[in-house]
Amino acid sequence: MIHSIKFSLRFHDYKPQPLSLLSASRWIRQFEKKDRKIARQLLDKVIYISESRRRDILVEQNAALMKRLLAANVPPKKLIYVSVHDAGSSSPVMLNLLRDAAGLERLGCKFVDARDSLRLNKTMNEVGVGALIYVDDFIGTGNQFCAERDFAAKSFVGTFSEFLLAPSICEEAFYQISERGIEAFTGHVHSKAERPLHANSSFFAREDKERLELVCKGVNSKFGLGYQKLATMVVLYRNAPNTVPAVLRGSLNQKPFAGIFPRWKDLPVRKIG
Amino acid sequence: MPTLKPSQPPIPQVIPAGELRHLTPEEIKPSSNNPRHLFDADQLLELKKNIGEHGVLVPITVFQAKGQSKFSILDGERRYRCVVELTREGHKAKDGAELKLPANVVEPPTKIAGLLYMFSIHNFREAWELMPTALSLKIVMEELGERDNKALSKLTGLSDPQIERCKKLLAFPERFQQLSLDPNPTTRIPSNFWIEALPVIDLALETVPTIKKLGRDRATDKLVEKYRERKIKSVIHFRRIMESYDLSEDEPATRAKVVRRIEEFFLNPKMETRDAFDEFVVEKKRVQSALSACEGFISQLQRFKLKYTTDDEERKNLRKALREVREYCKSLEQALTGGDDPDVPHN
Repeated sequence: MIHSIKFSLRFHDYKPQPLSLLSASRWIRQFEKKDRKIARQLLDKVIYISESRRRDILVEQNAALMKRLLAANVPPKKLIYVSVHDAGSSSPVMLNLLRDAAGLERLGCKFVDARDSLRLNKTMNEVGVGALIYVDDFIGTGNQFCAERDFAAKSFVGTFSEFLLAPSICEEAFYQISERGIEAFTGHVHSKAERPLHANSSFFAREDKERLELVCKGVNSKFGLGYQKLATMVVLYRNAPNTVPAVLRGSLNQKPFAGIFPRWKDLPVRKIG
Repeated sequence: MPTLKPSQPPIPQVIPAGELRHLTPEEIKPSSNNPRHLFDADQLLELKKNIGEHGVLVPITVFQAKGQSKFSILDGERRYRCVVELTREGHKAKDGAELKLPANVVEPPTKIAGLLYMFSIHNFREAWELMPTALSLKIVMEELGERDNKALSKLTGLSDPQIERCKKLLAFPERFQQLSLDPNPTTRIPSNFWIEALPVIDLALETVPTIKKLGRDRATDKLVEKYRERKIKSVIHFRRIMESYDLSEDEPATRAKVVRRIEEFFLNPKMETRDAFDEFVVEKKRVQSALSACEGFISQLQRFKLKYTTDDEERKNLRKALREVREYCKSLEQALTGGDDPDVPHN
């Protein structure tokens, strides 16, 4: 009961499905009695990034980056902020949040969607020399980010340094991002050791880990440990990444296994009429 | 600095910062327009072997973009790649230290200097990436006020036909250009689509009153719609329309039929290119005749044994005639190039 209270307080503002005392204890009860302790331990290891925390990290990191760029003689009007995914996904939302919180528009910064290559090309041509700052909330493998950036790079013009602002980045993504010469400004690098179900983590005893892996596989046979078995533990208040273990997300439509952090697309669609 | 014309300002070039440094691969950023898939694997292997034995002897050229801690490569991407691979394989320098690259540090290039460098990379690229190249060419044309193909070719290293193709792309409104910059290859309209469609659109606007009334942009939309409906299975099929029109030159009745078919083709989204125009084209026979004509022409010239012609006037006339043949053959050969984009799925 104490644990359920603790979890419901900690994760109460998770947007897709706010956590209550009832839903927290219901989640625990889905596990067999012998597994409940490790399930709680797993939940304890969740790195939850609340709305205010996410905004604070972004604004802080952005301020540090802008300071550095200003010292290198790159004023705000030479900065192009770039969102990297589809409209409605996290990146444009993050960019809007940062734009408003840091007053970037008033400083003369530019904003472009990486998929709008023509506009990106025009804006870079207009600015000539400056910095491209990609904004996102969480970078998992880095594959999606790098694919979007590489496509956009075909239309690059001018001399630009490249940066990535994100509240949390997995260590797997760092190599790919760094290989492209993009410098990441982040509040948190999510190491493999931080993820109890990751192959490289020794947080759980082997049998406990195997037990939870089995439960995950039962919930989602293909992505039990999340996309590419990343087994990440970062959960953002707005949505959980698709790299979290399946026991946290639950089954599709939340049946038979109800998750504690379902993604929007995991929830059943309400019938109209 | 080189100039194109005496009246023109000098072409911006990279300015050396006068510094030679020894950099580890981690301190270096590859080119943004990363052409990794274009390096010949065998040549790269040879270079890697050489660097593994002797180290990097010729310094690469790098610059440091404002605010960036890494150095960006201007010249020496292949050497850099070899060192990266060797480092990954655990290779060390002779003194046992980490492998480093000697690097001439230059000032960050200006926009035009950077673009011209990018063109040197693009020269290795496949034609399907033509739209970004066209956009860059547009900037070069605007910044340097240069429109002449020969001068642009000298500046960018692009061939005359490549420049012509880029200009064709730039003739389309931006909303159409944007369709070729779609990150999703399944919904992207290939650059070659516009190049092959342009003469057809021009022809339709010129010969079909209803299409003229429709206007260029809406007529273009019709073709885009048709392409998305998979009724244009290959962009090369646009040539059948042009061919049908050309071949009907001396037959008014057929010409009228072709024009009516063009109208129908534009207005009926279900009509497929080959279904519509194959009946007007007897391609194989013509091409076979052209192939025999080529063979006959060469063997006839060989029979004449012209190599040791001595008369000055005759040699002059012969050379002039051969130049004309060469020019025609070259333009025909260039007109026959083109095809579908390799990464766009087709029926």
